Amino acid sequence: MARCGDAVFCVFCGVQRNRHFCRGKFSFNPFDSRRSYRYTCLVIMSRKMLIDGDVGNGSEEDLYDFDLFVIGAGSGGTRASRFSAQYGAKVGVCELPFHPVSSEVVGGVGGTCVIRGCVPKKILVYGATFGPEIQDAKEYGWQVNENVDFDWKKLLHKKTEEIVRLNGVYKRLLSNAGVKLFEGEGRVVGPNEVEVIQLDGTKLSYSAKHILIATGSRAQRPDIPGQELAITSDEALSLDELPKRVVVLGGGYIAVEFASIWRGMGSTVNLCFRKELPLRGFDDEMRALVARNLEGRGIILHPQTTLTQLVKTEDGIKVTTDHGEELMADVVLFATGRIPNTKRLNLQSVGVELDRTGAVKVDEYSRTNVPSIWAIGDVTNRMNLTPVALMEGTMFAKTVFGNEPSKPDHSNVPCAVFCIPPLSVVGLSEEQAIEQLSGDILVFTSTFNPMKNTISGRQEKTLMKLIVSAETDKVVGASMCGPDAAEIMQGIAIAIKCGATKAQFDSTVGIHPSSAEEFVTMRSVTRRIAAAGKPKTNL
Amino acid sequence: MATSLSTPKLGTIFSSSTLQTFLYRHKFSVLNRSSLTINPQSASSCCYSSSFNFSKKTLGFLSDHRRHDVLIPRRFAARAESTNGAEPRHYDFDLFTIGAGSGVVRASRFAANFGASIAVVSSCLPPYLRRPPEECVLRGCVPKKLQVYASNYSHEFEESLGFGWSYNSEPTHDWSTLMANKNAELQRLTGIYKNILNNAGVKLIEGRGKIVDPHTVDVDGKLYTAWNILVSVGGRPSIPDIPGREYVIDSDAALDLESKPTKIAIVGGGYIALEFAGIFNGLQSDVHVFIRQKKVLRGFDEEIRDFVAEQMSLKGIEFHTEESPQAVIKSADGSFSLKTNKGTTDGFSHVMFATGLNTKNLGLVTVGVKLDKNGAILVDEYSRTSVPSIWAVGDVTDRMNLTPVALMEGGALAKTLFANEPTKPDFRTIGLIVYLLIVLRAAPSAVFSRPPIGQVGLNEQQAIEEYGDIDVYTANFRPLKATLSGLPDRVFMKLIVSAKTNQVVGLHMCGEDSAEIVQGFAVAIKAGLTKMQFDSTVGVHPISAEEFVTMRTPTRKIRNSSSGGKTDSEAKAAAGV
Repeated sequence: MARCGDAVFCVFCGVQRNRHFCRGKFSFNPFDSRRSYRYTCLVIMSRKMLIDGDVGNGSEEDLYDFDLFVIGAGSGGTRASRFSAQYGAKVGVCELPFHPVSSEVVGGVGGTCVIRGCVPKKILVYGATFGPEIQDAKEYGWQVNENVDFDWKKLLHKKTEEIVRLNGVYKRLLSNAGVKLFEGEGRVVGPNEVEVIQLDGTKLSYSAKHILIATGSRAQRPDIPGQELAITSDEALSLDELPKRVVVLGGGYIAVEFASIWRGMGSTVNLCFRKELPLRGFDDEMRALVARNLEGRGIILHPQTTLTQLVKTEDGIKVTTDHGEELMADVVLFATGRIPNTKRLNLQSVGVELDRTGAVKVDEYSRTNVPSIWAIGDVTNRMNLTPVALMEGTMFAKTVFGNEPSKPDHSNVPCAVFCIPPLSVVGLSEEQAIEQLSGDILVFTSTFNPMKNTISGRQEKTLMKLIVSAETDKVVGASMCGPDAAEIMQGIAIAIKCGATKAQFDSTVGIHPSSAEEFVTMRSVTRRIAAAGKPKTNL
Repeated sequence: MATSLSTPKLGTIFSSSTLQTFLYRHKFSVLNRSSLTINPQSASSCCYSSSFNFSKKTLGFLSDHRRHDVLIPRRFAARAESTNGAEPRHYDFDLFTIGAGSGVVRASRFAANFGASIAVVSSCLPPYLRRPPEECVLRGCVPKKLQVYASNYSHEFEESLGFGWSYNSEPTHDWSTLMANKNAELQRLTGIYKNILNNAGVKLIEGRGKIVDPHTVDVDGKLYTAWNILVSVGGRPSIPDIPGREYVIDSDAALDLESKPTKIAIVGGGYIALEFAGIFNGLQSDVHVFIRQKKVLRGFDEEIRDFVAEQMSLKGIEFHTEESPQAVIKSADGSFSLKTNKGTTDGFSHVMFATGLNTKNLGLVTVGVKLDKNGAILVDEYSRTSVPSIWAVGDVTDRMNLTPVALMEGGALAKTLFANEPTKPDFRTIGLIVYLLIVLRAAPSAVFSRPPIGQVGLNEQQAIEEYGDIDVYTANFRPLKATLSGLPDRVFMKLIVSAKTNQVVGLHMCGEDSAEIVQGFAVAIKAGLTKMQFDSTVGVHPISAEEFVTMRTPTRKIRNSSSGGKTDSEAKAAAGV
């Protein structure tokens, strides 16, 4: 990996310059003892000058116990720790003890993604997908006995095994990178001072040149009577029994994913959400299709509905909606948003600014208003996805220890909702494109019955959509709802990220017969939205 | 740029810079081969670098007559009358196509859009019982894919056990249900394809076409004349002359068996053989694959060849390498034995050959169309056969036996024949060469074996030949699903990057969902994106495909060019920020 210092020679000596690094963005750093040979970036130089020399700069190194101390060893924290260590930094990281259900005092190396997020969720989605698949198999000539059994406990046990294994993998990753791991709760006590409260209550204090907050987020609960009877996604991934009747509150991706999981395993699922359609923020056409698919798979939708009260009865939990409807449930899941984990970090005492949701405010380099304190991942509430936290962690390490200031780029980040069948999107939705682009917009859509369904008889359409700027021919957004949507979208994401045009899509040969080939064979515009026809305001 | 070679319907773009890059990049491999030299006066556009010129001499590899045609495509414009000579002749059609596979459907639709009159002959009643010409829909990829779906369920049953599902008795497969449902679906699809043709204003003639002279086709006794004839009947397996060949079935028959094979011998190591091996293995047959070579899938990336054979072996398929069939012997109990140079294997209920091509009965040889030794039609870069008015696309040409290329070839051909835009002939021609070469080389393709293979661009060997210095990134991992199911499934991924330009020139994958995954990457590779651009893309988590954007360290760096390492490091540093 080329660092900006490596290949560059002094401008004053004039020996050699690397063209790319010297586009006016670099200047020499007066704090660098080897300054006659190295450069640092102007953009952050002014800030770095206040607090920072260069990594490995002899005299300053001894002032701190660590070059970097990271609070939280989830996806972002682990990535930032490892990469910083690879750049030569001395890194410490603290994380709460392992537990599948998180709280103020338990968590675990690997974080939400590995222990109570993406990974266990995907495992359950896999498990749930088999149910309908077994039904479909019959039309393909498979003879399966009528009563196929599903053993929730077995799946849960295997899931736990897997996340424990991954937890170990993450710990090894850290130790292999030479990162010192502390188990306990981390707090900030000064701009360069952290404290780790260990399990037995003892406190460790360390100084660090840089502090990185990567404590993530956790599910929040609405404040309604009986809310303690409900669970959040943490517990939902660790239930002892498969619930027969479930009420899910929320319209976000967590809500629809869990609804799909339980339905696939045979539970009765009621899904209540505030808007007309689930998945606010996604393309409306896709939202409508997801809603139709959820219903098609037997989930009972309650749009424009919220819950007012939960009461424990002998028959289970009695759920009352704001329409006065009553539903009985064994499990009520609140999937009503997540809040950043900043409460117990003591950030206010050192003056780190938070926004009103409690998220740490950072600049585009992930730096807080306190120059030695940085934050990445969900705790900054920018774009709460694992790969984004990874990117932010990588860019942080590059900026601070790689001597190569790098901003994470939050544009055109692909993401997937693992409802069944899944939804995946990258770039702008049709609504966003209408709002953000100045010229005309071309919308290409393709709705079809996947070949597999032709024989299984499953009535479920796949929808694919490309949003193209008429002016530039650039594809500004792509979305798909249907089998393998997430896997298909990854490659499309590269093309869109790099500004591929519709013509370039069209000139790509399709893989036949596949679903994905539709993305390169959309010939005729479904609709053109004229710039003039757009509403100018949000009236 | 005004001189870009874009054409409205196909939407293919060749910006001048693309051309330039391409020409530059291929100066050794392509230009030398076709002795392409370019003279200055034709290089009116800025896109030609001064070192490359293009003239009639360029096309020295074509006969005079054909060179003329290629250089003056307007002659083909839209009317079915010869306009260039003293004796204008009238033909029934501009284009007469034999076969209605997807390549032809595509070609005909494009050509019809240019105002050409087109006929398609196709014998397809009843579509799946007789030997129809629609290779793709009726015999090739669609029915095969449906069988692949069916066969994959056995894998899903196994997987599901690891996810807590259980069955009182092991699921068994009923062959007749699958066949009935499959055939019903195929009949429906045939209807759809016919509709497409009719909608596009193409005359559809039912029957069996045979070429009687370079401009005449005989359809069951009725003669049609055409300015050009296009052949796309699809490749048919041919069975070598060995004792007992009458017991052997081909892939067509294998899609329509009356009962499930208990034990089947599949001879061949190509994609058809592997796909059928996967199908029968999944449907609980005992499968033995006999290949003449050491490895399966000649022409594919070496690592992919090894990986797929290993994965298929793990699923219970037995490979017999370096064995050539010598005879098929029927035993007293009705089972078959396959005798090879290495020995005899007994007890087969079916012996299938998945080798070769068969283009007999089309009248090709009598009108002078040259075939190769496998029976495939020899075509040049323009899809043109040795008879100037006869063209061939798709599987029948043996250029790349996968349908999407057939689609592209068809589209490109239509443009050559009928596009009457006032573009400079030499420019159009070079554009066409470039177009076809790019399309053929960078076309993504899939093998629906189990696990499937998806690939786009060059394999490692080709990349070394073409670029000299390459970086190879590989990943070989156990997917999340397999960690739970406990099955030995793995995924292999490979990126090949040109060390000098940082451009990703090849991408290969073997593992679940490969075919679907590779399509999107094909767009990126087609657009000429670099490894850095791959890296700048955020992954979707947790899926297999994200691996392709998170490959950080090259598995190996291959350095062959004489220019030394200095330029390399500079290029990389430049791309690094």
